[in-house]
Amino acid sequence: MAARTRIVIGSSNAGRLIRVWMPALALIALWVSVPAFASRGLIDILVFAAIYAIAGVGVSFLLGQCGIVSLAQSVFFGIGAYATAYGTTHFGWPAPAGFAIGIGVSAVIAFAVGWPVLRLSGYFLALATLALAMIGQVLFLEWDWLTGGTLGIGGIPPLSAFGFGLNSPKRFYYLIWPVVVVVLWLHANLLGSRNGFAMRAMRDAPAAASVLGVDTHVLKVKIFVLSAVLGSLAGSLFAHYASFVSVDSFTVERAISFLLLAVLGGTRTIVGPVLGALFVTAMPPLLSSRFGEISALLFAICLIAAVMLLPEGFGGALKAALRGRGRH
Amino acid sequence: MARLLEVRNVAHSFRGLQVLRGVNLEVGRGHIVGLIGPNGAGKSTLFNIVSGFLVPDQGQVMFDGVDISARSVPQRSRAGLVRTFQTPQVFAHLSVAENLIAGCYKHTDSGVLANLLGTSRSRAELRRMHEEAYSVCERFGLAGVRDQPAGKLPAGQQRLVELARAVIGKPRLLCLDEPSSGLNTEEVNQLMTFLEKLAADDITILLVSHDMDLVAVASEIHVLCFGEIIARGALSQIQGDARVREAYLGV
Repeated sequence: MAARTRIVIGSSNAGRLIRVWMPALALIALWVSVPAFASRGLIDILVFAAIYAIAGVGVSFLLGQCGIVSLAQSVFFGIGAYATAYGTTHFGWPAPAGFAIGIGVSAVIAFAVGWPVLRLSGYFLALATLALAMIGQVLFLEWDWLTGGTLGIGGIPPLSAFGFGLNSPKRFYYLIWPVVVVVLWLHANLLGSRNGFAMRAMRDAPAAASVLGVDTHVLKVKIFVLSAVLGSLAGSLFAHYASFVSVDSFTVERAISFLLLAVLGGTRTIVGPVLGALFVTAMPPLLSSRFGEISALLFAICLIAAVMLLPEGFGGALKAALRGRGRH
Repeated sequence: MARLLEVRNVAHSFRGLQVLRGVNLEVGRGHIVGLIGPNGAGKSTLFNIVSGFLVPDQGQVMFDGVDISARSVPQRSRAGLVRTFQTPQVFAHLSVAENLIAGCYKHTDSGVLANLLGTSRSRAELRRMHEEAYSVCERFGLAGVRDQPAGKLPAGQQRLVELARAVIGKPRLLCLDEPSSGLNTEEVNQLMTFLEKLAADDITILLVSHDMDLVAVASEIHVLCFGEIIARGALSQIQGDARVREAYLGV
């Protein structure tokens, strides 16, 4: 019996090694080796996809775990970008100060706006966040003393780590993906915790969640602030990578693309926003290089097909496929 | 009888229609108290007022001697007043065990930041919640469906999940709204046994039901009719009351 138990445990460990660690090691090997063969264009796409994925995680857990549709992420993305752009170019602040100010301002605005707005729900809440995105876009344009308006802010210094300048796409690539992994790890921690269960309870049956002691309004505001913090972090990273920011990067279309990547990726999976961001960032240039003028139409068709064929998103489909493989 | 819940002179109207007219209700600690009445009597309104989903036009709700009329639903829940719903409100996309884990919310206290960082305290708390959820699953006969999405269970089991989720939160007063609705006879009998066990564990129960068989577990029954309590007492007294017979049977 004891021998049999050991065999079962042994095979379970081997199974875990194959199921979890082998794909993880393969992904790490792929991540490390990509810059050796990828073009600059591809590395650019991978860096932007990572940045958008960080902002998209914020939109994704709001929608998938709390049932809150937010179109306001472009505002927090913009605040993060402008805070570090303005701070580093006008005052010569170190980049972490710009990041911190962006996160602080975003958190305060998310709290101030979220407190009244998150009493709404469904379409009304979505429209209210859309209004916020539109107001943000107008202010980013009109407050040109701060944002540079359409001329934007240029000359944003690259990030550096331990005296090592992250001034090339390859170097930035090696920074940004570990940041994505940390964000996903934080997301996973939150989902499997007391407040994670409360979020999902609130999404499925808000009245029943409040009966269990969950102050649904306060929890929604906290999660909205957290989402804004991720948007701001992504915006600051974007500013330092692009070295130039202007209002064009923080429009309502950007907000829609964050929501789009979250939905395409699958809002109820941890890796969904990453898959969605890769798709939304890589597909347009890929289609454009092959099909020219009709690429926009083809991208739209791809989006419709993806939503129709994969209602749970890429992440949901991947999860189902892995589960199916695990059973066989 | 030491009172745990006291409803004092509560009145409420909807758009001019008077639904409750100066209702007084007392629930003694450790007792099972029934609230019955024909359709439209105001039972649901009274239940919503007690649980905090409605603010009465007039009157007070006292819980353990404290006026809780102005307290929110989560505040009442943290004080120990928990309710279930006429249509079971399970967290459909969570498994049965996860529904119960969510039920532990008010007895845990880690913050969002600690949860994000996965601190050792946050992880220990989650382990405790899992253990407690599994043990309550066993107690309520839900161990076999522990990992199934609660929304896919039949109505009877969803009711049990809702009840188990309320119980895991260690309520002092459990308000059950039509708990036998949708259950078959065997399940109603099982429910009655559960309620008696809960009362023995010092959980006070306020029960709203149409089901006279189920209401038989109550030591005292209040009859609500057109917004007024028209009778109160043991089941045998209620059954013999002329006003109750008139309200129910029109005779």
